[in-house]
Order: sequence, then structure tokens, then C-alpha cells
Amino acid sequence: MSGQEDLERMSGRSPDRSSTVDSGLTMLGAAIAAVLVLPIGWLAIDAAGLGWTAVELAIESRTTGVLVRSVALVSVVTAASIVLGVALALLTVQGDLPFSRFWTILCALPLAVPSYLGAFAFVSAFGPNGAFANVLAPFGVDSLPSVYGFAGAAFVLTLYTYPYVFLTTRASLLSLDGTLVEAGQTLNSGRWEALKRVTVPQILPGIAAGSLLVALYTLADFGTPNIMRVEVFTQFIYAQYNAFARDYAAVLSLQLLGVTAVILAIESRIGVDESGAYESGGNRGAVDLDLGAWRYPALLVPVAVFAVAILVPIGIFGMWLTQGGPGYEAGQVAFSWEYGWNSANLALLAAAASVVVALPIAMASARADSRLAALADRASYVGYATPGIVLAIALLSLSLDLLPTLADLTGVDAVGLFYKTIPMLVFAYVVRFMPQAIGSIRTSTLQVDRELVEAAQTLGRSRLSAFRSVTLPLILPGLAAGAALVFLTTMKELPATLMLRPLGFDTLVTYIWRVQEAGFYGQAAVPALLLVVVSGLSMAVILSQETGDS
Amino acid sequence: MEDEVDSRGRSVSRRRLVQGGAVLGTASVAGCFGMFNDDDGNNTPQNANVSDFRGTGPLVEGNFRGSGRLASGRPYPGGTSINDLPDLSGDLALYIGGGEGGIYTNLINKLESIYPDFSVQPSSNDSASLAQTIVEEVDAGASQADVFWSIDASSLGYVADNDAYDPLSDEAVGAVANSQFVGDDNAWAGVAGRARAVPYNTNRLSESDVPNKVQEFPSTSALQGSMGWAPTYGAFKSFVTAMRLVRGEEATRQWLVDMREAGTERYGNEYAVSQNVANGSLAAGFANHYYALRVKNQRPNAPLELAFTEGDAGGLVNISGVMKVKGTDKGDLVDNFVRHLLSAEAQEFFATVSFSYPMIKGVKPVAGLPTVDKLSPPDIDLSELSNVQETIELMESANVSP
Repeated sequence: MSGQEDLERMSGRSPDRSSTVDSGLTMLGAAIAAVLVLPIGWLAIDAAGLGWTAVELAIESRTTGVLVRSVALVSVVTAASIVLGVALALLTVQGDLPFSRFWTILCALPLAVPSYLGAFAFVSAFGPNGAFANVLAPFGVDSLPSVYGFAGAAFVLTLYTYPYVFLTTRASLLSLDGTLVEAGQTLNSGRWEALKRVTVPQILPGIAAGSLLVALYTLADFGTPNIMRVEVFTQFIYAQYNAFARDYAAVLSLQLLGVTAVILAIESRIGVDESGAYESGGNRGAVDLDLGAWRYPALLVPVAVFAVAILVPIGIFGMWLTQGGPGYEAGQVAFSWEYGWNSANLALLAAAASVVVALPIAMASARADSRLAALADRASYVGYATPGIVLAIALLSLSLDLLPTLADLTGVDAVGLFYKTIPMLVFAYVVRFMPQAIGSIRTSTLQVDRELVEAAQTLGRSRLSAFRSVTLPLILPGLAAGAALVFLTTMKELPATLMLRPLGFDTLVTYIWRVQEAGFYGQAAVPALLLVVVSGLSMAVILSQETGDS
Repeated sequence: MEDEVDSRGRSVSRRRLVQGGAVLGTASVAGCFGMFNDDDGNNTPQNANVSDFRGTGPLVEGNFRGSGRLASGRPYPGGTSINDLPDLSGDLALYIGGGEGGIYTNLINKLESIYPDFSVQPSSNDSASLAQTIVEEVDAGASQADVFWSIDASSLGYVADNDAYDPLSDEAVGAVANSQFVGDDNAWAGVAGRARAVPYNTNRLSESDVPNKVQEFPSTSALQGSMGWAPTYGAFKSFVTAMRLVRGEEATRQWLVDMREAGTERYGNEYAVSQNVANGSLAAGFANHYYALRVKNQRPNAPLELAFTEGDAGGLVNISGVMKVKGTDKGDLVDNFVRHLLSAEAQEFFATVSFSYPMIKGVKPVAGLPTVDKLSPPDIDLSELSNVQETIELMESANVSP
């Protein structure tokens, strides 16, 4: 592919695109996005019930305090994740490391650990009278700096979410046009100057895509701030909901969505020229950071991250296993392997459904230039930023308002067919996690050469057949990576699962929740490890889809 | 014995059990139960064989009674035995609160193994979340659960206030000894109680150092900078709600501020508070009574005792309780289920496994605890504990974030 073609594809799409297909796709994408956002609209109805009080609550000082704290947490975690994620991505892609595959997996693995488990393990390890304090006590160390609070929460969240930035930045780096960097270096810019002026602008959209996921994850996470005792939106919403103040919880949720909208707007400014990062497709010549002997001490960074993010929790799980529970006379919550099966099944369903749903939205936003397509793409991210508990509350309200009416109109038992069933749960997962799949699908769609598809059509293939035989094989890696990401996060999801699951149905995370609530920490160890291992396997899928790994 | 699973076969084997129980009952008072104690501590309920229970084994020791020190040497529980109750039969959809609910699952499993025709479909979540879901579902005419087992009276009160229950039968609630633990209109029945208590370290304090009024704590010099609490914990919020109801907003806010300024240390939960009192890093704390017993059960020599305040919020006795969800077509089964939870065996289970306060006369709390009639809880309606919203605002304004 010549540079000329590259330029053409970066600056605009081929002019003779079949606009009917695109507008059809756009309408489909928009319709899907609307359905996904619908449950969240129900929050507005809850909040509206409060009338003027809603506004008063929204501008109350404690509400604004929570707002400021949440925004601060999101900013710090995102910034720290960018530093860590980009540095490790550069190191693993361009650092010319021995066993670079191994280091890549090491760096990506923290994503497989639910951050609330990480936070819990951290508090157990480093909290007052934790394992670490007990180890140090004989040496005269009485007290450790508190792990609780803002700094602790920011640390734990960064540790378990930076892999989003790591993965998306790697993807950009791997498709980076090495000749450009070389040109930069040749033009006397020096290694760092070339990095700054050539590499960074090219990988910026990749960084932005990962940062968006980090920021929205942080905003929507409940477990970590709760365990680390930082009062942010989700924690506050949860406290209000459990104090039977659902309408106030709805007001807070809407404010949280306001913050989401701002984050999305920021990201779309950076990510707007996303074609630039991805389009040159394939790795033409490895770029080398040329760290020399420094690359060995640099390895201490991934080692340290792995030790803290993975080994500490595993050590704590192991300790729980051997030390047992909190002193009950007897009793335990029986574990069944069926929970693992349920988790994996749900996650597979959610991954498959997400890919099917994400495909039209991603293709429309990659191909059509319309505002509607872009809006559909953006709007779907709202679900990702909606805390699980908020989505679950909204979805329950919506179903209980609509399904009985539907049943009256049609005579079909709509409640029995949908309410608190597996499909309802999967729907919630799709709303929450599908946006993670959009990114990678859009990227791979952008890499499909339009002329190939058109050639297939010219040769008498129908549109669908051309899609199947040309487009699909080309975007399959993107689909797989997107599906794996949805699988991974569904495995970890707790609040919506707790609220929406069918009666008598448990998964790994709901089981872990039950035993931890009852204080049987020892019994959480095996399912927690199982969860991390299965999630880790899906990480392998994500990494194996990377093109042209060095 | 033939292992028949039809109801006749079961009633035969259960009748034998009754006979066994009666014989043991007459002979047991002098502590003969020691002979059934498995000294190596392996005699945990989950290891017990169901057939032991149904025919030959000792009912309480093998199945419903905890196995450790605190549970040994107890008299045979009085009250109505499961053997004398009608069979449980059918499917029951149960919303069950988290936390203690995790332990209750064991009891439900035991009931399911006694009655092969009985099965429970449980769904667990926070009690408050389930309460709100029940109200929404009942309003929409789409209720899913037949019975709600909350670990906190406030959630029961919420469902009752929103008229999403059907009253329990008089027979079902009849065994509850104290009318404070039954809701108005038989809306709910308490099945296990927990008292607010003050665990204190006996190396650092003597019993007389602990005031018997909770409002005296901030000004007690022995307690300055050496107390612990867990303000995020639900039971603590119920305690503050009770104080609000008894002493009013302003006095409660002042108390919170005074305690905070006295250097009271925050913990994530009350088990941690009790552990730290036992370690000596705290002199005393605020916690549900059973946490100290769990610590004692693990570490019998820990210098840890419990004090109870009198007639104020510090002496609140909260309950976990059960209610019938409005519109269920299994009302009779729910009533019978409640009677089983209030049976001698189930009450012995709550007393010796989770160290709760039993709700019936015939079963005593584990050794070292005053019986429930010796406690002097504040005079409030437990359902009113559902007014948590004001409590949260109050705690925020006192800078003790909930």
C-alpha cells in the first residue's frame, strides 16, 4: 500500500460508498443504542418524582463534595494509568525485551482480577492488623501508613485498570508505521524527540480509547471505593439506596451520568482522528526504543506490578484458605462447581450478544460520517459508565412498569418470560459492557479495504455474502478481542448480577459475595482463584489477536 | 430401618426421633450431653449424616447445635420440636438478606434434607435492597418471593410500611416470647436476636469502668482515645437511629461529635472492632454482641468481656426476622416455615452457631450472655428503624460519615 493511498484513507473515505447500506446501518445502530440507553432513562422518571427537591439535592454541599471527590479520583486514576500503561506498552513493544510475550501477559493480567477483590486483599494485607503489619510487628513496627482513603483507592484502581491503556496503546504501537519513526530519527530529531513528535501523536487515539475505559470504570466502580472508604458517587448512591432513598439515589445517578457525558466529550476530541492511529495496518519494521542494558532494570516495573497486583491477592486468598473463618461454631456456605459453570455461561452469552449488537454500531460509526452514527457510538458508552447497581435498579423499575402492562395487552406472561431471567441478566451485561467491544470492532472495520468488498460485489456476490466472505474474516480478530473483553468483565460483575439473577441461581462472584458477607473468607479463596484463572484465559484471547507482535 | 421417602415413612422415623429426644430430655439436665460431644471438634453440622438425624443420631448434637466450647454442656432445648410440627412440603421462593443470611443457608439445607418434598429457591442480596425490590414487585403485581428473611428489622419495617406483606398466622408467631419481636398485625416475626454491646479488654478496663449509659461514654476518661466503632456498618446505623428516636436529633449529633472528638477510631466492621479490643489496641468498642463471642470462640483466653448499657440505644436488641410477601399463594407453607424457624432445634442452631439471641423461652443464649429479659433495650418500635435516611444525614452533619 503506498503512502498516497494511506493519506487518502486517513483524510477521508472513498467517495463512492454505497450510502443506502450506510444509512441502513446507521439507523440500526441508532435503534440499538436507543434500546440500550432506555433503562437509564427510567432514572429520570424516578428523579422527576421528587420535583423541585431533586434540584435542591443536586446542589447540596455534600452532593457537590461527592462530585468533586469523584472527579478527582477519576482524574488521578486515569492519569496514573496512562503513565503506567503507556510506559509498559512501550517497554513490551519497543523495548526489545527477552521473552516479550511473557512480559506482555504479566502486564495485562491485573485486568483479570476484580478490583474489589484486589482492594479487599489489600486491606487484609496492609491494613491495620493486616498480614503485613503482623509480619513487621516483631521488628518493632507498630503502625503502617493507612491504606484507606483517597490515595489507597486511587492506587488499587490504577493497578487493576491500567491494562486497558496498556492494551489499547500496544495495539496502536503494533500498527505504528515504523518507517515514520525512522524518518523522524533520521531527520536528526533524536530518539525521544521522535517518540514525542512521531510516535505519540500516532498512538494518542489508542491511549485515549484506553483512558476512556479507565475513567468510566473508575466512575462506575463501587467495590473499591467502598472498601477503601472513599465517599464517591457509587458509594453514596449505594448508601442512599440502602437507606430506602431510591429517588435520591436516582438524582445522584443522573449527576454521575452528567460527569460521564463530559468525559465522553473530552475523549471524542482526542479520539476524533482515530483513523490515523490504526489505518496503516500491519507492522512495517519493528521500532526499537534502544534501551540498551537499561532494558533489564526496566523489567523491575512489570515485576513489581505483578507482585503487588497478583501475588498479594493470591497470598491473601491462600492465607484465608489455611486460617479459616471468623470464629463461628460451625457452618459454611456450600460451594458448587455449578457456580463456575454459570459464570462462564453467562459471560459467553454476554460476549456473543455484545458482539452481535456492537457490530452494526461500530460499522456504522466507522463507515458513515453521519452525526447520528457518531452519537449512537457515543451514547452506548453511557451504559459502561453506569454503575451496575444503578443499571439494575433502573432495569427493575422499567421491567416492573412495562412488563405487566405488556402482559395485559398481549396475554403473554411477559413477567415470567423476562423478569429476573438469564436474558434479562444478559441484556444488562450488554448495556454495561458492549461499549468495550465497539472500540476493537470499529478499529478492525477501519482496516478493511473497501475496494475488496466492492470487488467482491462486482464479482456478483450479494452484500451479505460479500460481508461473510470478505469483511468477516478480516474483522474476526477484532470481534474476538471485543468478545473476550466483554467476557472478562462479565465474569467479574457483581452488583447487577446480585440484583437481577434468577432465584436459586448463583455465580462465582455472588458466591464470593455471600461467603464474604457471612465472614467465611477462607471459602472465598478457591472461587476467587478460579475466577482469576478463567478471566486470565480470556486475556490470552485478547493478546493473541494482536497483529504483528514483535 | 427402611429408608422410605414418602411422608408416611418419614413420620415413622421422625416419631422415633421424638422418643429418643424425650428420653434424652429427661436424662440430660445434669450435663450428660458431654458424652455426645466429639472432642476432636469434627462434629460439625455439615459433616452430619442425614440418616443419623432421621433415625438414630442425637438430634441437636449432630445437626442443629454448634460444636465448639460455647455450645457444649447445654441443656436440651425446650420449645416445640420439629418432630411435632406438620411436614414442610412444596417449593418456597425466598429472598434472604446477606451477612448472617449466609449462615442461615445451612439451616435451610437441613430442613430440605429432613423433608425431601420441601425445596427452597433462595436469592440473596442486601436486606434493604431486597425490601425495596419486594415493594416494587408487589406494586407491579409481579412478586417473585413467597417469603422474605431479613437480617435487620429496618427492612422488615420498610416492607410493612409499604403494605407489601400478608400477616403471619397467630400460630406461626405464637412461639416468640417477647411481643417486641413481632411486628404489628403479625407483619413479621423475629427468629434470631442480636444485642448492641460494648466489648471491652479486661486487661485495660474493669467492668465498673464501662458506664451503663451510652451518653456517658464520651466523658469517661478511661475511654478517651481508646474506643473503636464501625459507622458504615448497618447495625451501627440502626443504633444511631434508635438513639435519634429515643433522645432526639440534637443530642444524637452531639454524642457523635463528642465520640469522634474523643478519638474514637473507625473500623470497617464490628468483627474488626472486637478483634482489636481483644488484642488490646482498643480498650472498648461498639459492636453487636456476637462478634466478641466469635473472637472468644477462636481465642478462649482473649481478655475480652461484654458490657451492656441500660435503657438506651446502646442496649438495642435488633432481630433478623421473616415475613410473608403479599399475594403469595403459599401462605400456609410460609407459616409452617416460620414455625420451623422458631422450633427448639432451629433456635438452638441460632444460639450456638451464630451466637444469636433465641426468640423462644425454651432456648437460652450461650454461656456468658445475659438472657434477653435481663437486657434493658430502649422502648422503641423496631420497625421504625427503617428511617435510616435521617440517620445518614445526621451522621454526615456530625462528620462521622456513614
